[in-house]
This record gives sequence, C-alpha cells and structure tokens, in this order.
Amino acid sequence: MKLAFYDDFRLGVVQGNKIVDVSEVVANKSSLKPNDLINHIIENFQLYEDPIKSSAANGDPISITQVKFQSPLPKPGKIVCMAINYLEGGPDSKMPPINGFLKSPNSVAGDDDTVNLPSAKASIFEHEAELGVVIGKTASNVGRSTAYEYVFGYLNVVDISARDLGNPPYDSYFPIKSWSNFAPMGPYLVTKDEISDPQNINVKLWVNNKLNQTFSTSSMAHKIPECIEWISSITTLDPGDVIATGTNHLDLGPLQDSDNVEMEVEGLGRIHFKVIDHLKREWPRETRADKAAREAAGS
Amino acid sequence: MKFATFNDSRIGIVIDSAIVDVTEANLGINAVTAQGLLNGIMENFDSLRTKLDEIALSGSRVPVSSVKLGPPVPRPGKIVAMAVNYMENGALKEKPPIHAFLKSRNAIIGPGDTIILPKSEAKVFHHEAELGVVIGKEGTNIAVESAFDHVFGYMNFIDVSARGLSGGNFFWNKSWDTFAPIGPYIVTKNEIADPQALPIKLTVNGVLRQELSTSDMAHNVAACIAWISSITTLDPGDIIATGTNHQGLGAIQDDDVIEMEISGLGSLKVNVRDDLKRQWPTEIDSTFADRMAGRA
Repeated sequence: MKLAFYDDFRLGVVQGNKIVDVSEVVANKSSLKPNDLINHIIENFQLYEDPIKSSAANGDPISITQVKFQSPLPKPGKIVCMAINYLEGGPDSKMPPINGFLKSPNSVAGDDDTVNLPSAKASIFEHEAELGVVIGKTASNVGRSTAYEYVFGYLNVVDISARDLGNPPYDSYFPIKSWSNFAPMGPYLVTKDEISDPQNINVKLWVNNKLNQTFSTSSMAHKIPECIEWISSITTLDPGDVIATGTNHLDLGPLQDSDNVEMEVEGLGRIHFKVIDHLKREWPRETRADKAAREAAGS
Repeated sequence: MKFATFNDSRIGIVIDSAIVDVTEANLGINAVTAQGLLNGIMENFDSLRTKLDEIALSGSRVPVSSVKLGPPVPRPGKIVAMAVNYMENGALKEKPPIHAFLKSRNAIIGPGDTIILPKSEAKVFHHEAELGVVIGKEGTNIAVESAFDHVFGYMNFIDVSARGLSGGNFFWNKSWDTFAPIGPYIVTKNEIADPQALPIKLTVNGVLRQELSTSDMAHNVAACIAWISSITTLDPGDIIATGTNHQGLGAIQDDDVIEMEISGLGSLKVNVRDDLKRQWPTEIDSTFADRMAGRA
C-alpha cells in the first residue's frame, strides 16, 4: 500500500497515477497533528489496514497531478542517518566502520517543496539520494535476524548536506545536515510488502533532468538489518522513526539556485523539489566523479 | 511555577514539598499524551496562567514524596545540546565557535531513575551537568533580543557521555537510552531572575565533582536560541542543553549515585548501573579537564 498525505494533510492511498481519499477512516482522530496521526496508523496498522483498503476500493480516485503531496512523515520522532554506508569502490572495497548521526525532525520537506539554501558559508551544498526505512514498532536491542519485523515500509529520502560547516575536529553533523527542508521525503510511504528485496533496488537522482546519481542498494555496506541492530542497541526506535540508509558519494553533485531535483528509489515513486539560493552562489555543474576525471586529465 | 510529571503520565504543579494534579483540569487542551498536554500548557501559558495559579492554590495537594516523579519533559520533540560552550573557568582566551549536536529524545529519564552503561567499549563514561532550557513557543530565525519569548522554563540536565566511540561521533557517544536525566521539574522562566548567573553543582556519591556557574557560558542562552533556530525550527517541548564546564568531569560507574543541582531548580538524583562492573578512577579526570582548558 502507498500511504500519502496531500493538500491539507488529507490521508490518501496512491494507486498508479491516481489517489483516493481515505480520511474517513481516521475521522475520529482529527485532534491529532499529521505526524501523530501517521505514527498512530503505523503503530496500529493491523487495525487500520483493512478499513483503509476498503475505503480506497470504494472511493473516487483522482489524478495525482491534481493534488499537492505533503511529506507522509512531516515531523518524525527522529531521523537516524547512516554515515558512509556504501561500498564505493565496488564489491571488494573495504567495509567502512558502522556510523550514524541524527538529523532534525524539522528538516523534512515534501514533494514539490522548495529547499532554500541558507546563507551560511558552506563550501558546497550536495544532494544525497537514500533509501529511507520507516520503523513500524518499538525497537530496542533488536537482533539482525528479526530486524525486518520492525520495518513498516520505505520512502525516498534526500539527505541534503552543507559541507564544511561546524567546528572540526568535533563531529559537525548538526550544522551540516539539519537545516530546514534539508530532508525531502516522499512523495508517499510504501509498505514493506510491496518491496520484495530492499537490498537490490536502484536509486536515482536527477538535477535539471541530468542523471547524477544511479546506484543499487545491493552495494550498501551495512545492510538494513545490521543498521537496525546497531541503532537500536544505542537508542530505542519508535513507530514512524526514519532510518536514512546512506548514499553512494561518487556521484554527488552541487545544488544551486533554480535547480530542479528529482529522486526515485525503484518502487517508491518520485520526489521533486526546487532549490532557491538568494545569494545565487555558483559551483561547477559536475559530480564528484566528473570533477575527479577532469582533475586527472589535468585541466 | 514548577511543572512535573508523576505516576506515569500525570502533570502536576509543585508547591514546596507538595504537588497538585492538573491533568484533569479543564484547560481546553486537546491532548492524548502527557507531552501533548504539557506542550499545550506551554504554548498557552500566558492565557492559562491565572487559571493554573488558582488550581495550584485550591487544588488538593499530595506530598511529592508520595508520588513517583517522571521526567518533566517526557518526550521532547528534539534535544539540541551545545558543544564546548564554557570558557572553562575563564581558561580559554577566545570563545570557541558556537556548536551543537542532536541527542536522541529516547535518552530521557527522570529523577530516581537509573543510567544504564552500555556494554560498548567506551574509554570512560562522564557526567556533564548542564542548564536545560525548555522551549515554549515555536520559532525560526529567532532574534537574540526576543529569544526569551520562546523560553518556557529551565531544569537540571545531565548530558551523560561515553568517550572515545568512533573518534567522538556525537550520536554514538551521547544518544544511548538513559543518557539524558532531567528534572525534578521545570521551573518557569519568571522564577529565574538571571539564567546567566546560576551556580551548578554535581556530586557523585556525595563527593563534589562539578562546580560551575552559567556566567562562564561562552554563548549565552539567547545566543544559543538565535543560532539553533537559524538552522532548525524550535518547537514547544524541545530542549536545549546549554553545555558544561569540563573542569570537574569524572567517571561514573556501577552503583554510583549522582546528584545535580542548579540554584532554584531543585535537586536531580539518579543512579548508575553497569552490568559489566567496569572500574575507573573515582576522582576528577584532570587530563580531560586540562585538555578542554587548553593546558595540555
């Protein structure tokens, strides 16, 4: 099932290019804020799955082009991001040590939202396309063998990063990663039954229609169950928490004023956002790999 | 006014050694959790204040000793913790650059609770006594001059820290479950005349470890609020831990009892458990203190 919030955070189910209003199912929960509502649905999905399905079957589908998607997880309890979690030199690369950081719950943006680059003097702003894993039930000290029992579903996450801010050598993830709208997530949330092998799907990101990132989750260093095991050994995961599983950094590229970005993990739909930079800063329109190739060629 | 949570999910006002339950008071707040009710009280505090004062005066009082106090902010939206934010008793020549990290909200525990040291191979586990600021009003890009409009109150905050995991990665060192003891209550800002002149004391098993003043803070409360909110929106129920003076930090270990007190904010007492029964020196970590003060 593909769960969405749209327009004024109305609950909907996406079917192909259509969306159906299923808000009648949660009509008695109108006092809950959108994120509390989606967390409630996630936590009690056994109770909600059938009513949502039948409401969707009886509803009146309209084209998704007629609605504005909001992020399905507008303010998660927490966003845990994996750091350096891809085998970037191919299958024989050295396994990086497992590591992560927290991103502010207030950094979420939805489909078709705008990312305003802050005036802070980052050396560059980059896109990081990532598979997002949504937690379905409270998880503390979960072993990898049972980790998928704690997964509710998946969604696209772009982990936008402002490089070289902060106070090195101290860990500086907060001022690099937590700016408003630096975590576009969506357009909707896909339940795990629809994704047969989350470790073998393609992740793609385009800037102004040019394909920058394309990689498979098969080259993830620490797989989803290991991430859940490690994170939940440190901090309890709650329903609706998001794990961003990391990116392959080889083809990261700059984000700058008026860029149109699209990102898609196979089976999770496509999220779009626009970039605004009031300072109109400019960086060469090349990925890290392009830059390395250019420098190797001596130009 | 002092707000506490007690007996799982009740909200109360503490008056001297008694508490008045306000959970069922007709405050016009539609909330399903203790945190939701607390956020509603904080967001609407100006208009609810007279009513809350009346309830505090007329409501039935039970001794605080007869209830189980919980963490006064049971489920913050987020915890932003300032890093390297004291002048180390004036030892630093220049203010360190303003800096912070996020600590998991699931790390919260309350008075009388127990810090559980993880089996992870940290070099040591330290206590960091900090002034905790509780946000009452949403804000983005808050100006220094209006920063206190967004403050609801203050509380004791211990930023329990593992050292040496992954070269100092903050998530790994700071976000363990039970690593954020807070309380015993939130004291509303009107009761604290000058948050930048508060003595802070922390003892372990009755022996003094940390003794500092918020006057030694590098970036004051207002500057922290302005800077954080320039990056990420602050919400009612968010906590800012304003950093510690590292002179006086020391190891915490199995069976320790930690007591922390900021003048006017009550005393927060928590226990420590380590199933591995690891042992570290029981005195102040002077090597660490020297390093943070630039003496080493």
